[in-house]
Amino acid sequence: MRVIVDRLSKTYRDRTGRELAALVDIALRVEPEEFVAVLGPSGCGKSTLLGIMAGLLPATAGQVFFEGERRDGQPLTATVFQEFALFPWRSVRRNVEFGLEELGAAPEERKECVARFIAMTGLEGFEDKFPHQLSGGMRQRVGIARALAVDPAVLLMDEPFSALDAQTRTLMMEELLGIWERARTSIVYVTHNIQEAVYMADRVVVLSRRPGRVLDVVPIELKRPRHEGQMGEPAFVHAQERIWGLIKTQAQAALREGRA
Amino acid sequence: MSGSSRVAVQDRAAFLRRPEHRLLRVAALAGLVVVWEALTRVGWIPALFLPSPVGVLTELGEMAASGQLFVHLGASLRRLLLGFAAGGGAGVAVGVMTGFFSRADAVGQPLIAATFPIPKIALLPLLILWLGIGEPSKVAVIALGVFFPMAINTYAGVREADPLLVRAAVAFGAGRWSVIRKVIVPSALPMIFAGLKLGAGTALLLLVAAEMIAADSGIGFLVLHAGNIMDTTKLMVGIVVLSLLGLLSHWALACCERLAVPWRHT
Amino acid sequence: MRRITALVLAACAAAVLAGTAPAHAQQKVKVGALKLTSSAPLFIGVEKGFFKEFGIEPELVFFQAAAPIATALATGQLDVGATGVTAALYNIVLGGEQMWIVADKGREWPGYPLTGIVVQRDLYDGGLRGIGDLKGKRIGITTLGSTFHYHLGNVLEKVGLSLADVRVVPLQTMPAAIEALKGKQVDAILLPQPFPGVAESQGFGKILFWAGDLHPWQIATVFYSKKFAAERRRAVDFMRGYVKASRYYYDAVLVQKDGKRAPGADYDEVVRITAKYTEARPEVIRLGFPFQDRNGRLLVTDIERQMQWWTQNGFMKRTIPLKGIVDTSFVEEAAKAVPEK
Repeated sequence: MRVIVDRLSKTYRDRTGRELAALVDIALRVEPEEFVAVLGPSGCGKSTLLGIMAGLLPATAGQVFFEGERRDGQPLTATVFQEFALFPWRSVRRNVEFGLEELGAAPEERKECVARFIAMTGLEGFEDKFPHQLSGGMRQRVGIARALAVDPAVLLMDEPFSALDAQTRTLMMEELLGIWERARTSIVYVTHNIQEAVYMADRVVVLSRRPGRVLDVVPIELKRPRHEGQMGEPAFVHAQERIWGLIKTQAQAALREGRA
Repeated sequence: MSGSSRVAVQDRAAFLRRPEHRLLRVAALAGLVVVWEALTRVGWIPALFLPSPVGVLTELGEMAASGQLFVHLGASLRRLLLGFAAGGGAGVAVGVMTGFFSRADAVGQPLIAATFPIPKIALLPLLILWLGIGEPSKVAVIALGVFFPMAINTYAGVREADPLLVRAAVAFGAGRWSVIRKVIVPSALPMIFAGLKLGAGTALLLLVAAEMIAADSGIGFLVLHAGNIMDTTKLMVGIVVLSLLGLLSHWALACCERLAVPWRHT
Repeated sequence: MRRITALVLAACAAAVLAGTAPAHAQQKVKVGALKLTSSAPLFIGVEKGFFKEFGIEPELVFFQAAAPIATALATGQLDVGATGVTAALYNIVLGGEQMWIVADKGREWPGYPLTGIVVQRDLYDGGLRGIGDLKGKRIGITTLGSTFHYHLGNVLEKVGLSLADVRVVPLQTMPAAIEALKGKQVDAILLPQPFPGVAESQGFGKILFWAGDLHPWQIATVFYSKKFAAERRRAVDFMRGYVKASRYYYDAVLVQKDGKRAPGADYDEVVRITAKYTEARPEVIRLGFPFQDRNGRLLVTDIERQMQWWTQNGFMKRTIPLKGIVDTSFVEEAAKAVPEK
């Protein structure tokens, strides 16, 4: 399905009644099967945007639409969280199963589906382990499998690899791309890492620092399937520099204010 | 001192480490019993005031052989279990409701805060007026004693539930009851067990009080009755059984907790 | 709970007292008693100066229940006890703490209402008349092992029943027992005056029998601690005062003619003294005085019977030989030494 974010604004109100604008007039589109990265400095409201798209936060103004063909019972979104947000009392299998339970899927269907996504995310042999018995990378595989298992129209990913060490992150990025090639869901991928955004996305939406506005949308002209070798290509370097140019002053200002 | 020297690093934190001293633990307990027995054997303390451990054990054996012990134990366990089930169930339900729903919180918190500090023993005469002198008033006083630690701990457990997990559950389509069942209650389980352990101590205390009135069986009754007729050996048997019940319930709850909260222990 | 605390406290006190100096000859005699009508001879002895007459200065120490008096006696905090004979007392002696039963302090006796068997009015109206009709009923008493428990068991045995044929409900205190009857939580109770009278006057209870009419026995006695009994002269002197008070009491309130009360000249004075010490209203006191021997002599054989019954019913491990617990020599010596008026 296609996602249309239509002039979306979000203002928080703190306890003293002071208003704090998080997002101002955000407009963007995500085409079917597209991989869009939302990139911005810390505190630019990226996660807020994702929360509104997921229906977990109310918008102050504007709306989010989903358009196009939708199968019966297909959820609009599923979210992969930065801190994994796995249920510690559920085994890997039962975590992956969670969304299917809530959709009311029959037990046999759940079992079959869980097995497929456990295989796709490389979790075979870990089905009966509990989250605390897994490494960070393995945990996020569970988070991804849980989200993919409900077959959402759009997969929302909120800095999914930022809690992982650098090596694991690189491997996981490659693996996510592999999974995406097979699953072919639209993805909205929030990150503050330019290299990550350019490496994975079809387009990168660059947000300003708070209050978040769309500074620019940068198309990434790199062939798929992507691989590490492309990181030296001029298109890659060019995109990276262009994005950095957009946010450098923003980041510097944030640093001076001690908020970065 | 100047010049070159070579100094080996010493473990300066050695005195901070706390080894388990398993042998010492056993020896302390055994020592107490031995000193106790010796005191009564020598005759410094009359048997009436402090029955000897051997005498207490013999009496315990006789009471077990005659089946008398199990009649008392059965009656007490029945009251304890019923009281625990009623008070615990209600406590968890109230704790979850007040912890999760803001309206229930607004209604329940002041009520709990106002009634919690009342010593439950003081309510016993009222309970007897309301429920009669039979089993219901005995079970009710135990249930009340268990209810408050359970409600308060469950409430704290619910409030401490990770909001991220709640959000995650909602993101995957969970409604409020599903969130309560699949996220809130499991999150609160460790606190619920802490409440159960607190409640177990209170329950034993109240058991003795509850069995003061109109009981003809039970460990609490045994203790009081033996005191009434100055049968101090039987009295001591009752006290030993009470202490064993306390130890046993703690151990059983710890086992249940390991089974119910496996993600905390493995 | 209170009893256990008392026991522990008594044990501590005993340890402290054991280290203090021996009793002085002119010390007061500490007498433990309950604030009940049955303590009247003691009150008379104090009030009329009968003890002082024989060089004894008694100090009354009041208790809430009979059993703690026995404990206090065993730990040497009292010299004399005057109260009901309970299983606790026998078990203390059985546990190796010597004390002596020395004189009569009240009997359940035909014609002298003391403990009443009170049933619910409804049950009485429904035709409950005899002890045999109590089978299967809930009967409230204070505590198991109390004098009421003993009395109930013996009354039941008179009609071929036993304690196992009824449900004995221990309610700890007398007011609690009367409340339980009122609230229909028990079918019958065994309580001393004035409770039966109250139950009947308020209409919720009916006095079925006076227990003493069915089974007379030695319900209360005077006890001496081991130490006091060893001070032969003082112990006899105390008893002389007691015998004198007993005679005064008997002549004033216990004499009957043709089965009816025949109050003596000092009746009103005894009522006044008793009311003063028990803090009860005189009209309540007038309901009746318990019987006791004019010279304070014990029903020795009944003591043996009591021990046998407690043993049969599992409250005592075994009986104590009478020689080891009863000593009538004090009362015999005193009765001879005190001249009749």
